[in-house]
Amino acid sequence: MADAAAMARPVSREATPERGAPWTAAAMLAPASIVVTIGIVLPIVILLRYSLNQFTPAKVMVDAVTLENYTRFFTDPFYRAVLVRTIRVAALCTAICVVLAFPMAYCLARTRSRFKNLLLMAVILPLFVGNAVRAAGWMVLFGNRGFVNSVLLGLGIVREPLQIMYTEFAVVVGVIAVNLPFVVLTLQSVLEGIDRAIEEAALGLGAGPWRTFRHVVLPLALPGVIAGTILSFILAMNAYATPVLLGGPTFQMMGPTVYNQFAGLTNWPFGAAMAFILMIATLLLTVTSNWLAQARYRR
Amino acid sequence: MENYDSFIMRRRLLKAGGALAGASTLGVLNPVWAQSAGRIVVGTWGGDYSKLLAKNIDTPLLVPKKYEVVHDIGGDSERRAKMRAEARLPRGTSDLQGLSAAQMYEMNDAGLCLPIDYAKIPNSKFLLPQMKYPYGVGHIYSGKVILYNPKIITTPPTSFADALDPKHGNKLGIIDIQYQFTMMAAALASGGSMTNYEPGKERLLACRKAGAKVLPTNEAMAQALQNEEVGICIMWKARAVQWQKAGAKVDTVAPKEGIPLYISGFVIPKNAQNKDAAHFWLNEMLEPSAQEAFAEDMGYNGSVTNAKIPADTEKRIGFSAEERKRLVDLDYGYLAKNDSAFKDWWDKSFKG
Repeated sequence: MADAAAMARPVSREATPERGAPWTAAAMLAPASIVVTIGIVLPIVILLRYSLNQFTPAKVMVDAVTLENYTRFFTDPFYRAVLVRTIRVAALCTAICVVLAFPMAYCLARTRSRFKNLLLMAVILPLFVGNAVRAAGWMVLFGNRGFVNSVLLGLGIVREPLQIMYTEFAVVVGVIAVNLPFVVLTLQSVLEGIDRAIEEAALGLGAGPWRTFRHVVLPLALPGVIAGTILSFILAMNAYATPVLLGGPTFQMMGPTVYNQFAGLTNWPFGAAMAFILMIATLLLTVTSNWLAQARYRR
Repeated sequence: MENYDSFIMRRRLLKAGGALAGASTLGVLNPVWAQSAGRIVVGTWGGDYSKLLAKNIDTPLLVPKKYEVVHDIGGDSERRAKMRAEARLPRGTSDLQGLSAAQMYEMNDAGLCLPIDYAKIPNSKFLLPQMKYPYGVGHIYSGKVILYNPKIITTPPTSFADALDPKHGNKLGIIDIQYQFTMMAAALASGGSMTNYEPGKERLLACRKAGAKVLPTNEAMAQALQNEEVGICIMWKARAVQWQKAGAKVDTVAPKEGIPLYISGFVIPKNAQNKDAAHFWLNEMLEPSAQEAFAEDMGYNGSVTNAKIPADTEKRIGFSAEERKRLVDLDYGYLAKNDSAFKDWWDKSFKG
């Protein structure tokens, strides 16, 4: 017995760090988990429950378990059009952002200039200004008496001011301006990690710049491209201030429409259902595009 | 033993410290709270309205009586959502909420407003009858008139039918957030009434088809009028007066079909923490000095009969005896019942 106890002791001493490890991990995970649970998971669960309730104007919500809010959304061509418009704008903005951001990020990653930090700051600087303030800047440019129209009228290119404000074009420009720095920074961090020698090897073996880009740089930068795409797409799908301020009352996207259901019409169940549909659509499209991109380059 | 004594001593000290901290948190020892007659949280729109409430009511009338007035600033839709969300709580976070008459009706319909005890508001004996609701008190009012730029609209309009006419093409401006009043004006212009907005829909669709501009807010409309992008619209007379003061070259006409009233007032949420102070604030809101200052500063008519509005101000903001006969109040029940359907039509058919 005594021998057995003596044998057990060192084993237990050795096991101490292993037994403590889960506790340490739990202690490290706990703060973030609590914040996520209280701040995100709990509201999502409440939102899901609300989306199954019924709406009555006087009471706002009547407890129920019904899918009528979801049915209403998918059977009404107006709301379907709002969702399709949102996806179209988000996809267009994301594509343009990636195309514009790649060369910019590549230059930033490869430059050996002593002004590299300044260039990086120039990319980050717009993020210091809120979306609404940036949209206000575009409003000054795009107004009927704004800078763009004044120049066009002054040069005699147009006779009447162009209607730029409250159009899809204005929203696309505004959303791109918001998302571009995020995509540039994401791509730049990945491109920094690609060894320059690999590109030099490809060029040395006779591949032209385009072939090197297509078969060497792009596949290696794919994680960054995917991350930037996801980030931009999610931001554009959920855009609120830019569509409201630059799109005006007649250009409707999902974010402002969800807000309008909650705050304007106090139809919380339908607003909650729309919020869920937006969330699921964003998630599905993001996962699918991610999977397709990875499958394409795995070949 | 020594250790035990010091332990006891330490505990007593900690208890005393805790009590002191608690007392100070509760405000017992806070000199401001000790002297305060109470704290009143007023839910209100921001901007000029909030500033003028502070300037004309809170600072001159409440603060000298040791009340602490705090403004909970936000749009009416957000504040209404907050009232609904707080409905189940025993103690709400506001003592008063500033809303339009239609919104006051809606909140009362939802069972969220405290019945007003007019015995606690001595100044209410001077209140105009239209401004005295069982669930709220009117503060200011104006009427919906036609606003036009004589340079662009050369034939002065006389009615809503003249204003909401497809012939104006893209010179007609319509404000998105005023969908209820626009639908109502179109109804009055097309043979409808305060309880039937349906006849106006066809007129509005024709205007939109002809190029009428839909602008998001009152401020956007002011800008569009200023740069002559828009030549005619419908607007509160008070706003028109403000814009004229700011230099906009626009004239106003009281429509012959009737002048729909816009009334803004205050309700007390059922779960307000300081109901007596809220009643007192409402009483001070009706003081002639506060009402006169609001008329001068904001261009809205007061809700009491004993305020002495200077003749020139009255001429600018008020309505003539003939026009006063045409002031028409809304059917708030009809509006509350159909608002969701109206907004649906507005978003899908009119704007869509």
